[in-house]
Amino acid sequence: MPPYSGKVLWVDLTAQVIEEQHIPDEIYTQFLGGIGLGAWMLYRHIPAMADPLGPDNILGFLPGLLTGTPTLYTGRWMAVGKSPLTSTWGEANCGGYLSIAIKQCGYDGIFIKGISPTAVYLLIGPQGPQLLNASDLWGLDTYQTEDILIDRHTVKKKPAVACIGQAGENCSLIAGISHDHGRMAARSGLGAVMGSKKLKAIVFCGAKRVDSVDPCRMKELSRKTQKFTQITLPIPAWSPPWLGLVMRNPWISIRLDGIISNTVLKKWGSAGYNQFLNEWDDSPFKNWTGSHHDFPMSHSRAFSAKQVMEDEVSKYHCLACPTGCGGIYKNPDGQSHSHKPEYETFQSFGGFLLNEDYPSVVRINDLLNRAGMDSISAGACVAAAIEWYTEGLIDCETAAGLELTWGNTIAIIEMVRQMIERRGFGANFSDGLKAAAERLGLERHTGVIESGGQELAMHDLRLDSGLAVHASVEPNPGRHTTGSSLYYDFYRLWKVMPELPKPSLFERKKKARIPNYQLGIRCVANSNFTNFYNTLGVCFYGACLGADRLFFFDQVNAACGWHHSAEHYMQVGQRVQTLKQLFNLKQGIDPVSIRPSKRALGLLPLKKGGNRGVMVNLDSLRHFYWQAIGWDHKFGIPTPETVNALGLGPLAMELELPAMILNKHTAWQIEMQSQEGLEVTQ
Amino acid sequence: MSHTITGTCQGCTACLKVCPTQAIRGERKVIHVIDSARCIDCGACGRICAFTAVLDQHAQSCTHARRAEWLKPCFDLKLCTACGLCIQACPVSCLELNQSLKMDKTLYPNLSRADDCLACGFCVDICPVDAVRMASPNN
Repeated sequence: MPPYSGKVLWVDLTAQVIEEQHIPDEIYTQFLGGIGLGAWMLYRHIPAMADPLGPDNILGFLPGLLTGTPTLYTGRWMAVGKSPLTSTWGEANCGGYLSIAIKQCGYDGIFIKGISPTAVYLLIGPQGPQLLNASDLWGLDTYQTEDILIDRHTVKKKPAVACIGQAGENCSLIAGISHDHGRMAARSGLGAVMGSKKLKAIVFCGAKRVDSVDPCRMKELSRKTQKFTQITLPIPAWSPPWLGLVMRNPWISIRLDGIISNTVLKKWGSAGYNQFLNEWDDSPFKNWTGSHHDFPMSHSRAFSAKQVMEDEVSKYHCLACPTGCGGIYKNPDGQSHSHKPEYETFQSFGGFLLNEDYPSVVRINDLLNRAGMDSISAGACVAAAIEWYTEGLIDCETAAGLELTWGNTIAIIEMVRQMIERRGFGANFSDGLKAAAERLGLERHTGVIESGGQELAMHDLRLDSGLAVHASVEPNPGRHTTGSSLYYDFYRLWKVMPELPKPSLFERKKKARIPNYQLGIRCVANSNFTNFYNTLGVCFYGACLGADRLFFFDQVNAACGWHHSAEHYMQVGQRVQTLKQLFNLKQGIDPVSIRPSKRALGLLPLKKGGNRGVMVNLDSLRHFYWQAIGWDHKFGIPTPETVNALGLGPLAMELELPAMILNKHTAWQIEMQSQEGLEVTQ
Repeated sequence: MSHTITGTCQGCTACLKVCPTQAIRGERKVIHVIDSARCIDCGACGRICAFTAVLDQHAQSCTHARRAEWLKPCFDLKLCTACGLCIQACPVSCLELNQSLKMDKTLYPNLSRADDCLACGFCVDICPVDAVRMASPNN
């Protein structure tokens, strides 16, 4: 039996109706599972121009195709929906152990539509799925909610819970969905979608076994992967900043290997990158106006690899992960525990705000995890607020007494609290940076750092032009895990598909920044591979070990009894990417309009640091990406030839492009409608 | 096809009590019935049935054994990656990550509630690196 059940659960909260839907085998062949199944569902079922916080939006919870099988790194689950933050395709990816719990209930996905008149939670237990009253849970934080529900519904097996905190209940557009005390599907604001539906939580109580066609072959491949995961390089705790300094040299970029990355993650978690990325100038500082000069090693030492281990009580492994980059942390109060902050959180509330106070970041991390709010977006909001306050664009009265200066931890913590509780000055920022700028009349200010409405993460687009491309062209824009030149190096796709370009070990930095078709090819390979592994439920950090060491193409074949090539599965990734882009077009999104902020692209060049003077030529880079993926190279609209070659023709034929886009590209729809008799599953 | 109960059932309720998903229904001294939609084929009902009244998913008669003799999972911690798949596969949550062996603070799986173990072998089946095996509790 293959590792999918062939059915999903639909919950209509308005009608309070729950029903199962059977999914034909050919859908799994075309879209696999996870994000692919989500794209297929949402494209067809969310009407054009739907209100993201209205009843028409659909919130999906999806495990990966390989989740629950004997494969390593396949423990991620995904939330999907139309993002209220960007109005585009929205997805968020999370670890913990929820993914297998969804499958153990017998479903390949849970899809929620409508709006409940009162607060409810969904219980999927032995009695079947049912909606239960959540009025006693409304107002509780994510930890309390989860503890109560686990206690209430444990019979013999401990259930898994996904829930929202106060941020989601308040429909904060930067709210996430929490699992296992603060593992967060944080981005795209999907916690707000859950809150808008008055759905407090989902409790999964299943215990079904997940099958696979050839488990022996899968284990054989997993043991091969394990050999690579066990390699631990002798990297001492003092070395990351010095390695970063080497990487910062102005002449040569050095190709990194996933074994190095995996070693850092195993030893210190993503927080082990803190000083490495600071010194490399991969981390932005001072709301993208600074460099490592503003936060030198003597300051960043507060977040060193050695320091971040001091409060770690134990390692934390997400499901199926041999690396274990997570950690359980002792909070500053010395009693309670929380998840170890990730690099993104350390940087968002550390160097980015010129904050050297390590305990304050741990405290903020815990606050945000309990409230269910995205720490990257929250950090970006605080940074902009500080910049505006210090520039005098916000006066003391508007800031309601908050002395928002760089590194002022008291003001930073208070502002985070206000954002969570949607009160005071912080309430302006509860819906993200773009909304805050509009509320404060600062929407044209260069300090609004986002792409398509999504606050950018803590990786500098000026350092890696591939990152800038993905922040713009992806259907879920402004994200750091969708692709970059660095990730292309990590993925080692050229090892399994020799036709893809192999990057040299050393490359001149100036040359690497020149837009060219090869860069477009690499970025498209990133997108396709990312979508592919997100259909399987694979962790991004796991994928960084390299395609040739993970054997995921073979694993899918062994799990499903198929015999497809790597190229076939990369085409699945392209199919998913293209369908997500069609989703955006259906929702009236003009791909050309999605651009990272000028400051992030270096159009207001830095005067100091490793990225001084660097400007990203986004238009040329996008042109090559769109050309390489088979979308219109000027408008980013998938061409009819590509749509049909991917088997998406009948789906796209229903699509009516909004007038705004149609004016630019009238021929597209005419040509699309002329395509008939295509063999595709609809 | 799931596990099924045959006419030799005496209605002793032993299987009903051991079933982790409440898939078995029946009154005392009346033949019990397994709800195939809920059954997860853990085989506990077949092992506990003293009347060999249970057929497995392949329609083969299950073998009875005293519960104290049921096999238990053993972990080879040299191979184990602490990935937690076995913990989540267990239908009665009798495994926990609470064994600490090394200096790196990694927690490894342990049979913390041995009395609850159903000897289903789900943990063995799901382990990607063959670090779990079933063994007699007396060894």
